[in-house]
Amino acid sequence: MTLLKRLLTATLAIAITLSFGSAARAFCGFYVGKADADLFNEASQVILARDGDRTVITMANDYQGDLDEFAMVVPVPTVLEEGQINVGDSTIIDRLDAFTAPRLVEYFDPDPCAPRWDYRDRALLESAEAPVPQAARPSADSDLGVTVEAEYSIGEYDIQILSATESDGLETWLTQSGYRIPEHASPLLQPYIRQGMNFFVAKVNLEAFERSGAEFLNPLQIAYESSKFMLPIRLGMTNANGDQDLIVYALSPRGQVELTNYRTLQIPSNETIPVFVEPEFDKFYTSLFETAHTKDEAVAFQEYAWDIRSCDPCSTTPPSAEELRKAGVFWVAPNESPDAFVTRLHIRYNRSTFPEDLIFQETSNRQNFQGRYILQHPFEGATSCPAGRDYTAGLPERFEAEAQTLARLTGWDINEIRAQLPDVSAVEPANWWERLW
Amino acid sequence: MLRDARLYQIGFLSIFLGFGVWGRDWSLQPQGMIMAIAACLLTQVLLVLLLPPPAHSPIPRWRYALKSWPSAAITSLSLCLLLRTNHPLTMVLAGGAAIASKFWLKSPNHKHFFNPANFGIMTALMFTRDAWVSPGQWGTEWWAIMLFACLGGTIAGRVGRWDTSAPFLGTFALLEMGRNAWLGWSWDVAVHHLASGSLLLFAFFMLTDPRSIPNARPARIIWAVSIALLTFGLRYAFFVPAAMFWALFILSPTTLWLDLLWPEQRFQWGTADASTKSPRTWLALPQTRL
Repeated sequence: MTLLKRLLTATLAIAITLSFGSAARAFCGFYVGKADADLFNEASQVILARDGDRTVITMANDYQGDLDEFAMVVPVPTVLEEGQINVGDSTIIDRLDAFTAPRLVEYFDPDPCAPRWDYRDRALLESAEAPVPQAARPSADSDLGVTVEAEYSIGEYDIQILSATESDGLETWLTQSGYRIPEHASPLLQPYIRQGMNFFVAKVNLEAFERSGAEFLNPLQIAYESSKFMLPIRLGMTNANGDQDLIVYALSPRGQVELTNYRTLQIPSNETIPVFVEPEFDKFYTSLFETAHTKDEAVAFQEYAWDIRSCDPCSTTPPSAEELRKAGVFWVAPNESPDAFVTRLHIRYNRSTFPEDLIFQETSNRQNFQGRYILQHPFEGATSCPAGRDYTAGLPERFEAEAQTLARLTGWDINEIRAQLPDVSAVEPANWWERLW
Repeated sequence: MLRDARLYQIGFLSIFLGFGVWGRDWSLQPQGMIMAIAACLLTQVLLVLLLPPPAHSPIPRWRYALKSWPSAAITSLSLCLLLRTNHPLTMVLAGGAAIASKFWLKSPNHKHFFNPANFGIMTALMFTRDAWVSPGQWGTEWWAIMLFACLGGTIAGRVGRWDTSAPFLGTFALLEMGRNAWLGWSWDVAVHHLASGSLLLFAFFMLTDPRSIPNARPARIIWAVSIALLTFGLRYAFFVPAAMFWALFILSPTTLWLDLLWPEQRFQWGTADASTKSPRTWLALPQTRL
């Protein structure tokens, strides 16, 4: 982990335990698994709650080194008062991650010899619904051009809001104040200073952290009003050469959130893949994402977009109004049905593919989307009737199509995939007259 | 060679739309596109047939209605390319408003001064809650090919007028590069901004509609530079995602005033471009023309 990454970005995310056990039943099949954020090493996670010019950013914190070395510097558009900063609850990020993660669903073929019945009637009954009742003193170092606009101790963090006139001065000030920032950070600080932005600087207050008895750092939340709807990612790329993963959970009362300076693209979805993938769904989704990213590098992938009050199939129960307020959704009153639309964007960036910060916009697009992959289990009983023989005769072709889909999505070797397909002995389809009498 | 440059425009726009849907994976709704095309064509035909014709119109109304379909097609394709909505009726509103603006928002000498597609987009953005534009939809990988295509079309005189595209893009590029240098960003940030497919489409297809832009070349240059300045201001002072559409919308009425300052014959489709044949206009000062 680069020093820069520790210092500069709000790098995020608490270790989450994969939970494949809680199978929720829903119309579109049975929820059997999800590919959540900790599949991707060092994935940063940010919640953006935005309505009009008001934004609440929740920055998860996955820092695991020495706490006395931890610090983060985030450019912010305004000087934040104490009430605009909050130490959040890390569980809400886990909740949103679990709720929006790409999912695996499974269907079971019916007995081809049994009378048919229509599944569609069950549709609305089993879609889940959300449980309805369920927020100084300025001191200046004139030589360096850095002004400490405010200082706060909030939770386990000591926070300073800085304004600066010179990037060299800011770099010197940070170094003199004990922040171990990377060399040559000054050229990257300058654009933010010139844009009139301030710097939110946080480090851990060790005494407060020990008193709290917590094992992990809690996420930091900031609330501000600005027409700028952006996330600064450039600072985090000073010394980093490789790709970094960022997962953004954007919540808006209007609809989907998309990038305005990069393409936003839906991750390949709704594909039927061989059933042997079930125990290795993590590996499948990681390969799928890599394959999609290789094809389109400078792209934000949409992994989920849905009204937060429902889901289909549900990986977990929809977040309540209380939980969403913890995620910064300020326009929802406690105990009311939360009117919010969630967009999960997965961005894999590096210095060459993402030269500038991410700029977002809310749109009125309320179309639902989810990364959803389907397992279609073949019927395993006896199929001696003519329809059953037709069904069995059609299976090899179906398995081959699923194998081709898997190879296309993941880039895995088609022959290795074929070797893992179920063995179906060749069956001649029934003669047409057998279906007559 | 086709005499009417609009047919080339329709070809270019159709190619870009096809590329967007199949090459850029736009999730467009077919019914939205069909509604936009139907609304534009129907509004055009109905208004030509129902409204009183301009005085001394040389051709019967029905022939005029038939002749004007390419303009309506260009407007509808522009709406398909640029406007996003999940509700086909919003597309109908945008298409209807776009075409209607040509008939009802006119100067005393019967010139419409709003770009129809731009007017339709702004109507949908201002009066509905379910329309948006996606400035990032093209990405930045294909800009060189798009620029080549647009430039080629413009030089051949088949896409639009270079004297609006070039001053707009030139001014905007200078402003972007100046801002980039002042902020101290590396140059790839400015290149990333300028390589936007949306910006190129706007500059070559929306800013160049010869019927609604100022008639005289000096006026067009001033007009295009003003739009670049306003776009830049809206984007970086007010962070408006659809800045260029707002800038064109706000400054479109100044066409009337610029046409008074620099009187020139109005462009007619299907005939030789009068102003490009006129050497006087390039150096003409306002005082000498009044």
